[in-house]
Amino acid sequence: MKILLKSATIVDASSKHHLKKRDVLIENSKISKIAATIPSSEKVKEISLKNLHISQGWFDSSVSFGEPGFEERETIENGLKTAAYSGFTSVAVNANSFPITDSKGHIKFLKSKAEGNAVSLYPIGALTVGSKGTDLAELYDMRNEGAVSFYDYKNPIANANLLKIALQYTQNFDGLVQSFPFEKSVARNGMVNEEVNSTRLGLKGIPALSEELQIIRDLYILEYTGGKLHIPTISTKKSVELIRDAKKKGLKATCSVAIFNLILTDDVLEEFDTNYKLLPPLRTKEDTKALLKGLKDGTIDGITSDHNPIDVEHKKTEFDHAHFGSIGLEGCFGALNMVLGIEQSVNALTSLKKTFKIPSEKIEEGNRAELTLFNPDETWKFAEKDILSTSKNAALLGSKLKGKPYGIVSNNQLVLNK
Amino acid sequence: MELSVNHLLGIKYITEADIQLIFETADHFKEVINRPIKKVPSLRDITIANLFFENSTRTKLSFELAEKRLSADVINFASSSSSVTKGETLIDTVNNILSMKVDMVVMRHPNPGAGVFLSKHVNASIINAGDGAHEHPTQALLDSYSIREKLGDVAGKKVVIVGDILHSRVALSNIFALQKLGATVKVCGPKTLIPKYMEKLDVGVETNLRNALEWCDVANMLRVQNERMDISYFPTTREYTQQFGLNKQLLDSLNKEIVVMHPGPINRGVEITSDVADSKQSIILEQVQNGVAIRMAVIYLLASKIKHHED
Repeated sequence: MKILLKSATIVDASSKHHLKKRDVLIENSKISKIAATIPSSEKVKEISLKNLHISQGWFDSSVSFGEPGFEERETIENGLKTAAYSGFTSVAVNANSFPITDSKGHIKFLKSKAEGNAVSLYPIGALTVGSKGTDLAELYDMRNEGAVSFYDYKNPIANANLLKIALQYTQNFDGLVQSFPFEKSVARNGMVNEEVNSTRLGLKGIPALSEELQIIRDLYILEYTGGKLHIPTISTKKSVELIRDAKKKGLKATCSVAIFNLILTDDVLEEFDTNYKLLPPLRTKEDTKALLKGLKDGTIDGITSDHNPIDVEHKKTEFDHAHFGSIGLEGCFGALNMVLGIEQSVNALTSLKKTFKIPSEKIEEGNRAELTLFNPDETWKFAEKDILSTSKNAALLGSKLKGKPYGIVSNNQLVLNK
Repeated sequence: MELSVNHLLGIKYITEADIQLIFETADHFKEVINRPIKKVPSLRDITIANLFFENSTRTKLSFELAEKRLSADVINFASSSSSVTKGETLIDTVNNILSMKVDMVVMRHPNPGAGVFLSKHVNASIINAGDGAHEHPTQALLDSYSIREKLGDVAGKKVVIVGDILHSRVALSNIFALQKLGATVKVCGPKTLIPKYMEKLDVGVETNLRNALEWCDVANMLRVQNERMDISYFPTTREYTQQFGLNKQLLDSLNKEIVVMHPGPINRGVEITSDVADSKQSIILEQVQNGVAIRMAVIYLLASKIKHHED
């Protein structure tokens, strides 16, 4: 396949072409030439798009695609298509399927389902058997099959000793353990952020304390064990401070923030819209400000869409009965770009590759072509027609966004969202 | 004059003018229910479904009586288990009932926001008769109405709500109603039963009952809702009563005569002793009577909006 990207502004701080408008020729998944103008030839597919920008392919460290077990929510095929149209060239898929991804066979299934796809799928293995939080799953075996991390999706590790053992055990093969920051005995059956809005609405609150308490404990354990810990989707101001301090201390702790917690606050809950029922819950303006600052100063390593399709039956119901979660791939960049700007958005969408050891190469001649194509300036309102996922539970629905992905060039394929 | 809303989902969603209109209408109905013939033919063409997804005795009776005194047709549905556990969704349950040509739904439900949710998905006027720990608007209206009746006005009065605020829809609706009408509100109870961010609603928090009573004109003593507590928020009922129970000795020792209210059902000897409940300072039974008048007013005003709409 030969592709010629015409007048593309390259956004890649590690490349000498950073912020320059260039023609980029791609031949057989390699960038063969970057120049001010490259003449077209017959066998080359020429791509000329309005205000085209390209960056290294975006990575999402937390997506859920339902399959196997919850195909009514999403399938791997459509999930990967959604990812490609939304600008992501690689995704780490959570273990929250049924059965839970907790063995080599399950990892193999996910990999085989994504074979030949433009988007690279990286499975996350469950940390414990059945994500039950009691016995470690066969982590080494799963790692060898391609698992990039170990995480009982949104199930906190209640047993402190289990986390200690996991962090110790994974060290000889450099495994990445994730611990969801959620102390259940404090959060209990909370539904939304504990604050004035939960009080006004009579909804059970999830105190910020429940997140921070778990983070303090986890960092303390990490200090004891060594190893690598990733704390997915933090949501409070104090969590940012705790992780900032840990990094200063030299602990190998990384963390992410979900796009929703960066953009939205619990003020949106007024109408009991279950699309805003998220875990971690939407917090306050003070928290979003601190999270944004943390992302800018590198305390937070990157963002995730925390894409979680939920079927209508589990969303169109009383707030207490609705499942947590929102789809997030669609609109993720547009929302991020609103608050971070182009360069920092691209950075936030690619920086977690390092944490998860996802291959990445800078945009230069001779390197592998894994690129995201986008227009950072298009403003649009996220409507139901923009949803590509099988499930329609989008917290960003109705939000004004800036910037739209065109698609990707990845794995020797070009995928464009028409 | 008509209400600014088509449903009564919470005090939060209505205006002070709405509340005054409901009170004025209730004045009229209170006079009606004290006549020898306690019935008016106002709603002969209206059918109301009372849907109680949670146990209730007095609220259900009060609504049913109000509906019957207005000559509405009434059907009752009660299910203590949630519709979800039975496999049918709330929307389906209600739409099934509505397809039998029902105009108005009075609903009690264990989940906060259930009324708001339903109002977005079904075609009927909804009255919230209590949704989890969210709101219980008619209770708050009858409470404020009873204060107005006893003290002449609600504006400028100091009201303390005592007890389990955390699990209480009555407390929340009362706070909104009293504030809209110009009263000052405090809550009093063990810290474990007061939402941490209560003060952000401009509500004072007091943990000493005597201090609270000395401050107030009206004390609304809430029931300890043991059935809503999944964990222990205080060691024993005995110890709760020692700190937050209102007895005659305490009442008499205050330097003024306060009004004592209780939304019922009373746990005599727990939050309030029998001699206090039966004292002349207590307006507990007036509250019950006013409940019927208030509910008649709410139903009447919402029904007239349905009729307007159809014209």
